[in-house]
Amino acid sequence: MLKHSVVSLWLVLSLALAAASSASAQDLPPVPEAIKKQGVLRVGVKCDYPPDGYLDAQGKPQGVEVSLAKQIAAYAFGGADKVELTCVTAANRIPSLQGGKIDLIIATLGVSAERAQVIDFSENYAWGGSDVLVPKDSPIKNLKDFAGKNVIVMKGAWQIGWFEKNVPSASLLKLDGVSDGLQALLQKRADGFAHDLEVLRPIAKKNTDVKLVGEIYQLGYRAAGIRKGEKDWVDYVNAAIAQAKKAGLISTWVKQHVEADLQQAVIDNWDISKVPKS
Amino acid sequence: MKHNFDIAYIIASLPALLEGLRMTIIVSAISITLAIAIGIVGASVRIFNTPIFSPLARGYVEFVRNTPLLVQIFFIFFGLPALGLKLSVFWSGIVALTIWGGAYNIENVRGGFLSVSKGMREAAEALSIDRLRYLWLIALPLGLRVAIPSVLNTSISVLKNSAYLQAIGLAELTFVAMDKLSLDFRTLEMFAAIGCIYLGLVLSLSWAVRRAEWALQRPFRTE
Repeated sequence: MLKHSVVSLWLVLSLALAAASSASAQDLPPVPEAIKKQGVLRVGVKCDYPPDGYLDAQGKPQGVEVSLAKQIAAYAFGGADKVELTCVTAANRIPSLQGGKIDLIIATLGVSAERAQVIDFSENYAWGGSDVLVPKDSPIKNLKDFAGKNVIVMKGAWQIGWFEKNVPSASLLKLDGVSDGLQALLQKRADGFAHDLEVLRPIAKKNTDVKLVGEIYQLGYRAAGIRKGEKDWVDYVNAAIAQAKKAGLISTWVKQHVEADLQQAVIDNWDISKVPKS
Repeated sequence: MKHNFDIAYIIASLPALLEGLRMTIIVSAISITLAIAIGIVGASVRIFNTPIFSPLARGYVEFVRNTPLLVQIFFIFFGLPALGLKLSVFWSGIVALTIWGGAYNIENVRGGFLSVSKGMREAAEALSIDRLRYLWLIALPLGLRVAIPSVLNTSISVLKNSAYLQAIGLAELTFVAMDKLSLDFRTLEMFAAIGCIYLGLVLSLSWAVRRAEWALQRPFRTE
């Protein structure tokens, strides 16, 4: 009971403060007490997934999703520097969240029923599909050709389930990071590297030794991940993302982090109304 | 944070974990055996101060002991193909663990050889017993007995370090656990389970070696 009254006191106080000081946070619900108390937003982001999250020359995370994480911190704490970014991988992002190391996942997290059993999702903020990267001289024409072949995947990534279901005879080499995956493909340790199209597209463009198969599969949605039972926090994150989108920040960030001729495709990925009908 | 420990989940995961355990045992057993062989050869070269080979062995030991194992694993898996040597995931793992354990074993076995008293070596020379026979008949039987505890120590480390091989995608115990975790997210149960499995594995290895040591010490026991 005491805790409750302290919380509500805080809510009243922070509401009053927010109304008084911060114009940009005006339309947002109050920041949950537990988060507020830390004074800093702890977010897990990707560091090997340009343009959403990658390390710059100083070794600091940058990217479209990283900018979103900083923006949420700016809304919540009044400064984009009030953010503690942790590099996570597909395999460790949910354990990091559950273990309390971070309070929010903004790391290319795909929405799935299995994941929804252990964490809560924000509203979908982007969508994407998968493709497979193959060597330039590869005879592979479509996904069926991977039957009996070796395919590199990222540990914990959602292409694993797709291949197990649709091309069960393919054997999967599971690695930790995109650079490991590309390295292994170039060394011909496998016949293809299955991953999100958004990552593979710039790689295929930059690296003339590889190309995309070009068959898009497994369209999926991306959302922020939040520990179960933190309803107020979900509401806050939803409102913050919506506000950032409404302010047109996404295309600003995309223009900072994506090469000119790929920008429109990425901006479309962040627009849920642009999902192809299948 | 509240958490319901789910024993049923561990039981359901056991078949997959045992598959991983099998790989851990195979890779470790091969690597431990090869590492002991390297240790014996390397230590022999060192105590006889064989030209060229002795400094080579010494440099090898220094190199391995002063670089992180993970770097060595990545070097073998991702680096060597650039030089034209492409090993499979399985053999990359074995080579990495063998090279790592071999370096430590050279020092372990060398210590054992050094504990054999100088008089033995002088007596062998006086009786014109050549170096190989001195090694085989005197230094190895006496020195290896002394080296057993430290060789065991290194072997345990090789077994535990096999967990690093998950980084290159070898489907050993830790890899299987991480792989399942990335889909089921039962972190506590999974790490508790593989912790217990590793503990059991290492304890059995220590027990087996202690039995062997006890049997080997028979001639020296006063009963």
